[in-house]
Amino acid sequence: MTNRENLLSLLRRQGYEHVPVEFVLCPHLQELCKEKLGAEDYEEYFGFPWRRVDDLKLADQDVEKFRKFYERPLAEGADIDLWGVGHEKSPNSMHMTYMRHPMEDMETLEEVMEYPFPDFAHADGSHQPEQVKKIKEQDLVALGDMQMTIWECAWYMRSMEELFCDMGDENEIAEFLFDKVTELSLIRAKAYANAGVDVLFLGDDIGMQHTIMMSEELYCRWIKPRLKKIIDEVKRINPEIIIFYHSCGFIEPMIPHLIEAGVDVLNPIQSECMDFGEIYQKYGDKISFHGTIGTQTVMPKGTPEEVKEAVWKNLDIAGEKGGLFVAPTHMLEPEVPLENILAYVEACRTYRRS
Amino acid sequence: MSILEEISEFLQKGKRKNVKALIEQALEEGIDPKMILKEGLMSGMSIIGGKFKREEVFVPDVMMAARAMNVGLSILEPKLVEAGNEPIGRVVIGTVQGDLHDIGKNLTAMLLKGAGFEIYDMGVDVSAEAFLEKAEEVNADIIGLSALLSTTMLQMKEVIDLLKEKNLRDKYIVMIGGAPITNEFAEEIGADYYTPDAASAAEAAKKAVESK
Repeated sequence: MTNRENLLSLLRRQGYEHVPVEFVLCPHLQELCKEKLGAEDYEEYFGFPWRRVDDLKLADQDVEKFRKFYERPLAEGADIDLWGVGHEKSPNSMHMTYMRHPMEDMETLEEVMEYPFPDFAHADGSHQPEQVKKIKEQDLVALGDMQMTIWECAWYMRSMEELFCDMGDENEIAEFLFDKVTELSLIRAKAYANAGVDVLFLGDDIGMQHTIMMSEELYCRWIKPRLKKIIDEVKRINPEIIIFYHSCGFIEPMIPHLIEAGVDVLNPIQSECMDFGEIYQKYGDKISFHGTIGTQTVMPKGTPEEVKEAVWKNLDIAGEKGGLFVAPTHMLEPEVPLENILAYVEACRTYRRS
Repeated sequence: MSILEEISEFLQKGKRKNVKALIEQALEEGIDPKMILKEGLMSGMSIIGGKFKREEVFVPDVMMAARAMNVGLSILEPKLVEAGNEPIGRVVIGTVQGDLHDIGKNLTAMLLKGAGFEIYDMGVDVSAEAFLEKAEEVNADIIGLSALLSTTMLQMKEVIDLLKEKNLRDKYIVMIGGAPITNEFAEEIGADYYTPDAASAAEAAKKAVESK
């Protein structure tokens, strides 16, 4: 199998020859890898099986236009993203930022409708087919990364509390905002699909540590049909495309809904929130998984031996068909020892089914 | 159903307008504002908290109920001040230094407020010194610490160590919470309480000040 075939076959539960590795490093660990390993580009250094294709490029890159939506001004040095969401920094918080919501104080549908949403309908995607081609020529899988697809995208603009209240009140703001965000996500998703990506990575956090974030009823009323609509359209363009979906936390009751919506691979199955063995037993014939190695526990706090055992145990659960792209569940933060990262990589490379 | 029960019912459903109208009506009928607070708003918040803990309702329901509570409180508060109503305790709450996540902390503050506490919300990225200074200033009973990251949870220990250093450890009840926090961690750093969710935090806080 080529590298590409190996990953795609593993994700389709049709067997695999070697265990691919993948993780995300925080800026501190990226520096450490450069210094200790000479890994200028850690994705290349460790041989990750996929590369990201850039999103559509907006014609209007001006984000200053969003500043007027902040009644309480943004802190000095804050960034504004292309959705108008403010990100305030703190010298103590490394790469993390505090999010501010431009629509938080809006009270009428008219105000929400007049908001300058990013104009993806007129954005430039001419770079995408070229990037996809190059990635595939290198025997790598082409990935379109579109996490924060519907719910989180709307929440970041409106604020969680306001949006939940909009949903609870069944008001027109929620209806309009979800429709708008879905429309924009659909444009981006179709562009990725038309450019030929192998994998489209969607996601919206709908779990907390031990419970789901909202009721199944609320999820099915507002979000599931919109997610399904995006996936249906993308699969109409390319039935072979593999849909990843990310949600942190405990989301077991939501898994059947995600399967119905058309998700193929679920990320990250946090080991601190759900038992992979149980989840695999229940759903492993309908959906594949990406993640499972805990970044709250074994990655920062375990020994290298414990990291390896966790990797091997989960690969054994998935068995010879595959269906598990084993990886740390989240970005690796500064407290994760380099030895544990190397142990994860070694465990993948030396894995022999028991 | 009594008018106070109705207030509680509408609060649980997050119906702000009904809560507001009924509180105004109750005041007109001459019902003691303390009774309206206790039997109407606090009772509703306690029921919704219990349902949240039992996973019968979820975050949106608590947020909507809390919003209805706040609408109600804005009418009641001036009357409560006149009546000399005392909170059941004072809580200084915040997300520890280096951490900017506040959804869990805000939810906990809402339920503590619903349980009758006076809340001093310090926001996010709060230093150990700032927690202590505020707690001393407002004569707090409880210091509530939140962290989402395994990196920043270690800052909780800093707060407790600072309290020890200043010989103030016994003066405050220290409660901690957040995704990566466990009972073992609470014991390890010497916190008084860890609770896994916001409703349990409000219940534990109530018991803690009662037995203080």
